[in-house]
Amino acid sequence: MGNNPLTLALPKGRLFDQAIQYFDLHGLKISVEERKLVAHDEKGLLQIFLVKNSDLPTYVAHGIAGLGICGSDVLHESISRFFRLLELPFGTTRMCLAARADQNPQAEKHRLKVATKFPRFTRNYFHSRGIPVEIIKLNGSVELAPLLGLAPYIVDLVETGSTLKANNLKVIENLENIVVYLIANPAYYKVHYPQVDRFIELLRNSA
Amino acid sequence: MNPRTRAFLQLPQGAESFYLEEAQRHEEILQHMRILFGQWGYLPVQTPVFDFYDIYRPFLDVHARETIYRLVDREGDLLMLRSDVTLFLAKQIGMIISHRDLPIRVWYADTILRHQDEEDISKNEFYQVGAELIGKSGSHADLEVLLLLFRSLETLKLTDYQIHIGSREVFNGCFDALDEDNKLKLLQAISLRDFEKVHTILEEEGFEDGKTAFFCRLFSSIGTLKTLVPLMQEGKKEGFLTYQTEKALQQLMDTFSILQTLGKEDLFRLDLSELGGQGYYTGIVFQAYKEGVDAAFASGGRYDNLLAHFGFSAPAVGFSIMLRKIEGFLPKEPVINQKTPIPITDSDFITAYRKAEEVRHKGGIALLGGTSHG
Repeated sequence: MGNNPLTLALPKGRLFDQAIQYFDLHGLKISVEERKLVAHDEKGLLQIFLVKNSDLPTYVAHGIAGLGICGSDVLHESISRFFRLLELPFGTTRMCLAARADQNPQAEKHRLKVATKFPRFTRNYFHSRGIPVEIIKLNGSVELAPLLGLAPYIVDLVETGSTLKANNLKVIENLENIVVYLIANPAYYKVHYPQVDRFIELLRNSA
Repeated sequence: MNPRTRAFLQLPQGAESFYLEEAQRHEEILQHMRILFGQWGYLPVQTPVFDFYDIYRPFLDVHARETIYRLVDREGDLLMLRSDVTLFLAKQIGMIISHRDLPIRVWYADTILRHQDEEDISKNEFYQVGAELIGKSGSHADLEVLLLLFRSLETLKLTDYQIHIGSREVFNGCFDALDEDNKLKLLQAISLRDFEKVHTILEEEGFEDGKTAFFCRLFSSIGTLKTLVPLMQEGKKEGFLTYQTEKALQQLMDTFSILQTLGKEDLFRLDLSELGGQGYYTGIVFQAYKEGVDAAFASGGRYDNLLAHFGFSAPAVGFSIMLRKIEGFLPKEPVINQKTPIPITDSDFITAYRKAEEVRHKGGIALLGGTSHG
């Protein structure tokens, strides 16, 4: 079991470059050829699969990749359970409730109609606070929903807020800080724990 | 799509079928298990496919309640389909045996039915084979069940696996003072190895720094006696362990030490983050893992209070294997020697029948009229 590289799923998109930089900082040089979806680090410690952000939990849950780098926003949408082995120092952002800048936030407090890419998070968040919520699932450009009248509210990730501002929207409430984790398929960790623990030590120590 | 097309091409989520050679292999595997369990003095049991929901409700967590199939019977009572054999078995045991029969040893092989989301549709959790030892407490009973699990896997020629052993009793001993809510949160955090959360919960509960750090190390360490003995000594010296915890830890280590003496050290790991998926566990708990299998393929433990819920108080310990998870990893050649079928091609039926009977009489396999699927 010991000598094969650990399998790690990396998300394409906003976290990819930051993850590569982070590994670089810890002495793990990863070069990805253009259009290739499988890569290695130079030391042969990791075998890396590049997958779509929202598919990452599925790959890890099925053990195709034993480990993954994944934001809590994506983890909220997955029904699978993972070990969160390490909180990583990049990619933090906020999950926010937003609406048109001229929207009166008190008007519809008893029942929210929300457009979002994160239906599970949104339902759990508001239901656990006793607020009924009607959810419209979108796959992108969520900011359009209030402008075109699909739904008065959106729940989405907000980094700088400039996209919101450009679309005449404003944050009504910060719902949760989103953190990026090194996650593991529980069974994969239990089989490979000596090797995974060494990998975590490497990430913890050599920054 | 035409609704009939869907009905023809798909099974409902959570259903599974297998056939021909695959089903035959499955039967052969069961045949081997039957022989093994028989040698150990275990008798077969069959549990009902459905039963009244209300009686099992206290033992189903939110996830289980979401995934079980429920139906209403003709009198309007709510029923559930069998989603966990141990649970259904517990009630049967309560109904059929009395104290003077104890201990009893039973085994089962049955399908289980629960909904699986599209995301985890290939989890292969459809078929449980297991054994339960009822009416015996103590480490000898724990060892019997652990070793029967080991022998089952050895019989199947499964390789490269490891069984992680923990103890619900150690957990209860350490955190008995916590209220039920926080205890459950802590249990989940430890099971998911989220030790930052464990740290936070213990801090909020007013545990001093040294004790918090110690418990994080105790419950996160995985290893053998070499790992656990120094931790226990430290805990004793610092006064972090209650009498109950110390006793439970000692029993766990005694159990492991016997496994070691039997030469099985490599197959077992002491791992206190194993707390058992089911709420009914009270003592030793364990799960088995294998390279390439996406989740634990076998699990079990001691459940001394479950039977009392069904009107019959007796200690019990057992395990179950999710057989379909590992069938693909078993050696390709049949577990039982399978002879090649001999085609009998005589055109006269009576001659062919007589020849075929002769072959069968000598222990061979004869196919009337030629090829196996013709």
